[in-house]
Amino acid sequence: MHFYLPIAEVSVNALLLVALGGLVGFISGLFGIGGGFLMTPVLVFMGIPPVVAVASEANHVAASSVSSVIAYSKKRVVDFKMGAVLASGGAIGSFVGVEVFRWLRLIGQADLAVSVSYLLFLGVIGGLMLIESVGAILRRRSGQPPKPRRDRRPLLLYALPFKVRFPRSRLYISVIPPILLGVFVGILSAVMGVGGGFILVPAMIYLLRMPAPVVVGTSLFQIVITTSLTSVLQAGRNQTVDIVLATLLLIGGVIGAQLGARASGRFRAEELRALLALLVLAVGLRMGADLFLRPEEAFVLMTGTAR
Amino acid sequence: MEAPPAPAVSAALTDTEIRVSSGFRGARIVLYGAVFDPKDRPSDIVVIVRGPDTPLRIARKTQVAGLWLNSRPVVFRGAPGFYRVASTRPLQDIAGFAPLRHLGAGLEHLAIAAPLEQRVETTYGVRDVVVSRLGADYLDWRRAVLRLKEKAGLYAADPQGVRFVDKGLFRAQLDLPAEAPIGRYTARIVLFQDGKPVSIRDRELIVEKAGAERALYLFAKDRPWTYGLVSVIVALGAGWAASVAFRRS
Repeated sequence: MHFYLPIAEVSVNALLLVALGGLVGFISGLFGIGGGFLMTPVLVFMGIPPVVAVASEANHVAASSVSSVIAYSKKRVVDFKMGAVLASGGAIGSFVGVEVFRWLRLIGQADLAVSVSYLLFLGVIGGLMLIESVGAILRRRSGQPPKPRRDRRPLLLYALPFKVRFPRSRLYISVIPPILLGVFVGILSAVMGVGGGFILVPAMIYLLRMPAPVVVGTSLFQIVITTSLTSVLQAGRNQTVDIVLATLLLIGGVIGAQLGARASGRFRAEELRALLALLVLAVGLRMGADLFLRPEEAFVLMTGTAR
Repeated sequence: MEAPPAPAVSAALTDTEIRVSSGFRGARIVLYGAVFDPKDRPSDIVVIVRGPDTPLRIARKTQVAGLWLNSRPVVFRGAPGFYRVASTRPLQDIAGFAPLRHLGAGLEHLAIAAPLEQRVETTYGVRDVVVSRLGADYLDWRRAVLRLKEKAGLYAADPQGVRFVDKGLFRAQLDLPAEAPIGRYTARIVLFQDGKPVSIRDRELIVEKAGAERALYLFAKDRPWTYGLVSVIVALGAGWAASVAFRRS
């Protein structure tokens, strides 16, 4: 069943997109990530112009994340206050990111920015997560007690002003680090077409020192807000959101996300993290490989000039 | 003494409008025509279909410190978004260089407006966009444009695309892919005799979006901010609906 996408201006197999949306949605619900880092490369590979893929994916991530957030909020593991602080940074980041992406397209370096950010962020985060989670699994297998959490000595970050109490996360910290984190993730959301969960989740655990159970739900809550905004900005500034593409993806995505959120209870946290790490690492290396391999075609046509 | 009537060609498209809707996977343009020639000399027909011109940007991958990076893109102003040439036999057998070049018949004769000189301009608010003269590299870049467009199914040449179905009556068939741009196309039908174009007819073809596709396309172009808001509301609503559906099940 083929469908002509009005903004992307290509004809695609609708059932394939629904199935892909379902698969990515499942992964998204399982790990508490938006799934954009998987879907954007797949869409580009399918022949959808990268700028349309990035922008429509933000829309799709918003949909699949909202359905997971509802599932998590019922378990009372969303820190809405922290989410709102992160999202206020995310809003700034997505404004900046949409403009940066627009500029990168015009100077012809959008591909480079996308490859480098995938390689850098996914490679580093995936590698670190893999080392950490495999270590945790090995310690458990060998019967050692889990590594005690390092004492909460106040990092330099915590000495900053504007301290706020976050009861759900049991934290009393400055709002500056979460806002800066939000800005950074908002930029990534616009440039890479991702929610940024793969950065947010570890940053919330290791940097903000939030208790692990509230991290995933809170990260998803922030992602919903940031990607919704990115999506409106991309539509308004770059006119690259394809509503038909996003809808096809989210039909499968919302169902997959629900199933994934249910399945997540059946795994141990370390094993989930190890799996996610492998996935993140593989996608990062695949996207970055283009930088090092001699291209088959020496020239690239760039889709349209910006309006 | 009255001069003998000149040979002439006439042609018509079976469809003059192609409507792109959700099921669109491309279209086949069929053209019928006739040659009127009292002397009955051997004739060749060349059909050139061109889509609307669009500026295009192309970059070359260059290796910098082991990494493959894009060079600054070069802007070609005005290359057809779609180009098909169909003929009764290979173009080089029909006519020589000059008439083919003049008509822009064949991929190697297709006029693509190359940047004339290097200048730095401010485009869409971005400073220092280099619009360069390509010099000796020009042919490489031009060939790359053709190759990439051909690969995308947007440019093609078919030396057997026109067939005489009966004495003086011919039929041409050209395929339009789903990726073909929207807009006004022209089909130029040229009658060649003894290697010279002796009669030319132009026909118009309009490719436009139809139905829901058109409505969404116009909505996104004309009211982008409202469109963005609506698409986010649809997304959030779908996510919420799914979680409600799953709670009940």
